[in-house]
Formats: sequence, C-alpha cells, structure tokens
Amino acid sequence: MVKNRQSKLTYLLIVILALLTLSPVVMLVIGSFSKGLNTFGDFTLAKYISVYTDPSFYAVLGNTLIFVLFSALFSTILALFLAYLNNRTNIPGKFMFKVISVVPMMIPHVLFAVSWALLLNPSNGILNLLLMNIFRLENAPFNIYSIRGMIMVEGLLDLPIAYLIIAPAMASFDISLEESSRVFGAGNMKTLFRITLPVLRPAILAAFILCVVRCLASFAVPSVLGMPGRTYVLATYIYRTVTTGFIADYGKAAAVGMSILILSISLIYVYRYMTRSSEKYVTVSSRGFKPVVIELKKARIPLFVILLIFSFILIMLPILVLLYTSFVPYSMVPSVKAFTSMNLDHWKNVLNDPVSLSSLKNSLFLCIVGASLGTLLSIFISYVIVKVKNKASGILESLSFLSFSFPGIVIGIGFMWFFVRTPLYATIWALLIGYIATYLPYGIRPMTSAFIQIHSHLEESSTVCGASFLTTIRRIVIPLLIPGIVSGWILMATMFFRELSLSVVLSRPGTETMAVQILKFSNDGLWGRLSALGIIMIGISVLLVITANLVGNHFKPETN
Amino acid sequence: MKKTIRVIGIVTSFLIMGSMLFAAGAQEKAPQKESKVMEEKVALYASITAIEPILAAFQKDTGILAENTRLSTSNFATTVLTEFQAGKLAADVVQAPLPVMEILKQYGVIKDYFSPAAQSYAEWTRNNGGIYQFGIEYVALIYNTELVKAADVPKRYEDLTLPKWKNKIVMANPGNHATTISWLVGLKENNVFGSDAKWMEFLTGLAANNPMFVASFGPTPAPIESGEKLIGISMPKYIITKAPAPLAWAQVEQPLLGSPRAIGITASAPHPNAAEAFMEYWLSDKAMSLLANDVGEYVLTPGVFPPIDGIDKAKVIPIRDLSDEELLKWGAEFEKIFKL
Repeated sequence: MVKNRQSKLTYLLIVILALLTLSPVVMLVIGSFSKGLNTFGDFTLAKYISVYTDPSFYAVLGNTLIFVLFSALFSTILALFLAYLNNRTNIPGKFMFKVISVVPMMIPHVLFAVSWALLLNPSNGILNLLLMNIFRLENAPFNIYSIRGMIMVEGLLDLPIAYLIIAPAMASFDISLEESSRVFGAGNMKTLFRITLPVLRPAILAAFILCVVRCLASFAVPSVLGMPGRTYVLATYIYRTVTTGFIADYGKAAAVGMSILILSISLIYVYRYMTRSSEKYVTVSSRGFKPVVIELKKARIPLFVILLIFSFILIMLPILVLLYTSFVPYSMVPSVKAFTSMNLDHWKNVLNDPVSLSSLKNSLFLCIVGASLGTLLSIFISYVIVKVKNKASGILESLSFLSFSFPGIVIGIGFMWFFVRTPLYATIWALLIGYIATYLPYGIRPMTSAFIQIHSHLEESSTVCGASFLTTIRRIVIPLLIPGIVSGWILMATMFFRELSLSVVLSRPGTETMAVQILKFSNDGLWGRLSALGIIMIGISVLLVITANLVGNHFKPETN
Repeated sequence: MKKTIRVIGIVTSFLIMGSMLFAAGAQEKAPQKESKVMEEKVALYASITAIEPILAAFQKDTGILAENTRLSTSNFATTVLTEFQAGKLAADVVQAPLPVMEILKQYGVIKDYFSPAAQSYAEWTRNNGGIYQFGIEYVALIYNTELVKAADVPKRYEDLTLPKWKNKIVMANPGNHATTISWLVGLKENNVFGSDAKWMEFLTGLAANNPMFVASFGPTPAPIESGEKLIGISMPKYIITKAPAPLAWAQVEQPLLGSPRAIGITASAPHPNAAEAFMEYWLSDKAMSLLANDVGEYVLTPGVFPPIDGIDKAKVIPIRDLSDEELLKWGAEFEKIFKL
C-alpha cells in the first residue's frame, strides 16, 4: 500500500519535473539535429560532425577536465575544512566564518573574476606589485590568467555550494560513532579519517559532483581569466562557436552541450552507485543524536588566525576591491591620486536609475518566491530519491540535473525556444519557472544528503503512532531536515538573486533583473556602477543568508 | 500519502493556472493597449549600448514611452527570428549591425519604409529597402595618456608591431569577435597597408607582441585605464563614456574603419505609428547629436561629430559586410596567426 503511494508520488514528481526540465532540453536536442538556425528543420548530423571532428575540440576537452576536476576538488576540500572547523570544533567566530563561507555565492561571478584580475594580473596586479616590492622581485610571482588562476577563482566561487552541502551533514553527526572509535584508542585525526569522513561520503560526493557540474557550465571565470591567457575550456569553446558570425548557431552549441550533459548524468549514476547502501550513512536514528564539539586546545587560536587570514585574502579582499572600484572614477591602481579622487558618483547613478531599482524589485521577488517554491519541490523530490530508491527515482534524479548540466548560454536559448510557444513568454513567470527548473539541484543536493542521515525508523515510529504521511513529514522529517532546507534555500535564493544566463535571454523591459543590469554596465565598460550594484547585491544577499539562518535556528529541534 | 499527492497536485495546478491567468490577463489587455499604445509606447530591440539619453529625449519631446531591450550582436538574429516566427515579436523597431539587419530583411522581419529624415544622409546609407544606416562602429587605437608619452603614440597601425608594445596591447579575440575579424579583413580589403604582404606583416607583428585577448570591445578600456595594458584596439567612444579616464585615440595617418550600424521598422510592429515616429526621431539631427555628444558614437548625419579631439578630421570608412562563412574562415585563419 505504502509502496503504491510512493510510486504514485514518484510518477507525479517525474511528470512535474519532466515538464519543467525536459522541455528546453528537448528543444535543444531537436535544434542540434536540425538544419538551419532555429529549433525545427530537416534532420542533419552535420552539427555533431563539425564539432566532434574539430581537432581543437579535444585539446579544449583536456583543459576542461583539468579545470573542472581541480576546481571541484579545491572547493570540496576547502569546504570540508571549513565545515569541520565551524560545526565540530570550538573555534571562535563561527557565525562570521559561516557567513564568509557562502559570500562568494552572492557575488556576480564576472565581478569576482575581474577583482582577481585587478589583484593578480602579471602587469600591475595589486598583490603582485606588493610582493614584488617586498621581496624585490623582477617579475610578478603570480599570473591569474592561467589554468591555475582559473582553478583558484572557480574553486572559491564554488566553495559555498560544497560548504552548504557538507555543513548540514557535519552538523547532524552522531557522537556515538566517534566515541566508539575513541574507546578503541583512535586519536582525533584517525577518527576523522576512519570514521567521520567515510560516514560523510554521500555529502562529500554530492558536493564534489555538484561542483564538477557547475564548473563544466561556468563561463565567467574561463571568459575573464582563461581567454586572456588563451586557455579555452568547453564553455568558452561554445561561446566561440556561438559568437563567430552574425547568426549564432545554437544547435551546434547544443551539440557541444550534449557531451557535458552525458558527463553530468553519468556522474549522477556514479554517485548513486557509490551511495547505494544508504543505511551505512545514517547518523540520526531513533536512539537520538548529539553532535559533539571537539576541543582544539592549543590549536584553537592558530587555526582561528589561519582561517581569518584565509577569509581575508581569498574572499574579503576581492570584495574590498569592488568597494574601492565603486568609489574611484575609473579603473585605477590604488594611489594617492586614486584615493583623493574618490566620490559617490557611481552610487548616485545606480540609486537614481529607475531600471536598476525595478530590477532590484524583480530579483527580490524571484529570489524569495522562487527559492521557497524550489525548496518545497526539492523536499518531495529528495524524499523520493533517498527513501524510495527505485529505477523511477533514478530517473527523477537525472531529470533534476538536465537543465542544470547545460552551459548557461545554451540552456537560456532552450528556454526561449520553449517559452516562445507558450503564453508565458516575456513574463516574470517564465523566469521563475526557468530558474526553478534549472537550479533544482541546489535544493535537492543538500536535502538528499540530510535525508540520507535520517533513519527510516523515525518515520515508521510516527506512522505506528497513527500519524499520516504528511504529519510525519511535517512533525518528524522536516524539523530534522532544517539544516538541509536552510542550505538549499540559501543556495537557491543567492543563485536566483544573481542569475544571468536565463535572465539575459528571457527578460524584457519591466522584467529586468539585477544581473541583466550588471551585464548592461559590463557591456558599456562601466565598472564603477557595476561594482556599486554588485556591493548592493552582496549586502542584500548577506541579509537573506542571516535571516534564513535565524529562521532555521528558530525551527531547529533541540538536540541536547 | 494520498493527501501529499493531492497537495502537490493542487500546488502545481495553482502555479500553472496562476501563470496562465497572468499571461491571459496580459493578452487580454494587449488589444486595449494596442489602440492606445500606438501613440503611447514604442518597443526597441537594440545592440547599441548607452542610448538612454535618446530614449529620454524622445519621450520628453513626443510623449511616447520608448522601451529598449538590449540584445548582444551574437544573440540578436536568433532572438528576433525565434520571436518573429512564433508570432511573438514585440519589437517595433530593431537596431543592429548592418549584416544582422540584412539577414532579418531576408526573413521578412523588416518592412519597407521611406524615411523623410534619412534624406539628408548620404545616398549609400539608404539604399536598402527599410534599412537605414546611421553610424559606424568605428575602431581605433586607444591608449593611456598618462603612461604613453606623446612621442610614442602610434602614427600608423604598423607601429603596433614595434617591440616596445610587447605584452602591452589589449584587443578583442580575433578568432571569434565578428567586428574585430571584419576590421582586420577591412584593413586588407581597403588596402590600408599598400599590399597584402604588408597586411600580413602587420598581423604577424601584432601577434608577436602577444596581445591580451578579451571577449569583445566592452572589456578593452578597463585594462588600459588601470595601466594593466598601455594601448588597445578598441572604440574611441569610450573616451566619452569613460571620462575622466586618461584615454585618447592614436590619430593615425590611415583611415579609421568600422561596421555600419543600421535601424529599421519591423513588418509586424505592434505600434506602427509610434515606430515611424521613433525612426524619424532617431534619424534626426537632434538624436544623432545626442548619440555623438553623450555616447561618443560616429554618426552619419552630415556635420555631426563626437566631441573627441581630431575625429572631425578623421577619414572613417564603412567596411564590407562579411558573410558568416567568411567570418568563420577568417576567424580560423586569425586563430592560426595569433596562435589561439
């Protein structure tokens, strides 16, 4: 009976998700096999042949693999380190580090990349000049326009994704597992590597895979830092395919996108295979759980200082560069002249611009309403993925990744080809649906990781006591899922607030978003206004993150 | 479980119905608006940036609201054709580089229109049905006035190949940026260097100086202003839009080249009267003066120049439209030369 109901729920969700994510992808698939430039045309394989027989494609593929794997690894390791210190130890300033860990998610990626170019370009990067003066070097020690520079910046930008997936899992860790390890004589490090990390495998893998998929689709960093250094990856290869000529052949771009899609779907199945025995990762069962705080003792202050320096250099410094750029009249290296010519002109321009203000309103609507609806849908989808675990749930998981796996510049066109056939075209609802459909994995990943840790005994006990399915979800599951829900909501909300790929294609006068305004300033080369708007976006996002955390803490069940 | 499925079903239906109702509401309102909006509003799709002063002046002078959707050149034809073929093109007026406008004309997007205002322009600007050329996306060598000494400023394009500019140049990617490809080919076709061999020498010399490549012209001025690079192949209009940045253009002996910018009314314009009013306004001396003075654009209205030192004396030539096949071919060629 229960199985039958679960199957019904699964199929209903598959229908909803298929409607949301399959439509643009189907358009792109048709476009990739069609002659001509629009969705429908005579069947052809020419686009695939042209892409996959291009000798430069395979060099690009090599660069892409290096870029993607190392960026995702960097984000995941960093997130693990931060999540461990923040959730499991007595390090001071936890709340501050928690917010700092998700700050890169709030910065428009193009701005973050430009800030790093100002800091570490080999000609006159601020940090390079400083190091050259201090150590009397003849050449700049760092070149941000390199694959290493790209990996560092992309890794930092994707840090919040990994952090927001790993942190809730770390927060729900059962003390008894680690205590058992210690009883058998293992130290802190051995317990960490033999118990803590293996139990967290689903969350770590989920974080790594999501980062891989995001890096594959990333465009800002490869464009701003890769192109000047002549390092091309798939996203910039697609851009080159699309922009050479006056008519963009998006069908050909979709043909390139198919390899990314296949890679992403394969990764999901690898993930499902590696976490197939989900009961191994349960840390919250009917026995109750109490996360333990590890005493750092003498390492407490040095680790705090290291984290502080890390946060300052890697995350806060680029934001300070943005703040500085918003006050100087044009792009200037810091100097007496630059500081004396600072003014508020860019801020006044932005704050007096009616389009910027209306785009702020639209973005806030899309971010709050979209993230809330997306989170609600993610709860049900995650439940089916983790608890039902049949072939249909595998389909559901793959569907949730469909739109997400495509590079932004391509999926935006897929949505345009789809929405133009509906009455929703050029309305804010098209943006809302497109956002949810594309970024659903941001809601689903943290929640599946959190779901995996909850033993089914808890739900069964509730059912035995006479509670309905919905009551069980509301009274038992959701309170235990709060860290995952908060993470999912934050990921979606901050993403929606700065979303560009879909917005630039689907927004029209009256439905402009903040990111579209940012792009407009960027096209005009108005970096000062762009930075001012970027700072406003970061400020609002920080407020949203703090509010979400406070709301989450309010509803979190007592664990002691 | 049944209750859950019902709840999900209700929420989804609510969302879909809400969206449909909203859209239907918008559609219902459209015919009412159409009769009024003919005089109240005009929708423009444009690739040119920073045109807000003209839109504001148009609204002030005519009372018609001008709404602009900015589309990048690479997205322009795809977006307009997708909307047009689905019967959803909202644009009354479209503005894009001439080759894009010609493609749209082939698909029947542009209507034939006689513009009285365009009669003061040179004849070659208005020989294409409803397409009117009004400006040239002119390209020049832009340098940092604080870091480049007057004696070092290039006097010819070939000066960019001198070793002193090694690692000091920024330009849009010659492998895929259509305007840069057209410009480089334009230098050859207009025989700017005297022979094809000299043109090739220029290219190889420029490549040897290891220029930094960016996606388009938009990001070219920032590294020059900040001193990261000293000179770039960019657009003089940034001297106006980025003032007081220390930028100037190298007044070379050779002509300046650029792609023509054009404008036209769509065949399915929802607001045809307002569209005509806008076209006439756009092509008027007043609007073109605004475009030149506030945006730094090179316009084709006789006697109107942007307030940039020496531009009024420069010879500015429109370059030939390259087909997409030619752009691909030359892009691949430049990829080899510049080792992209």
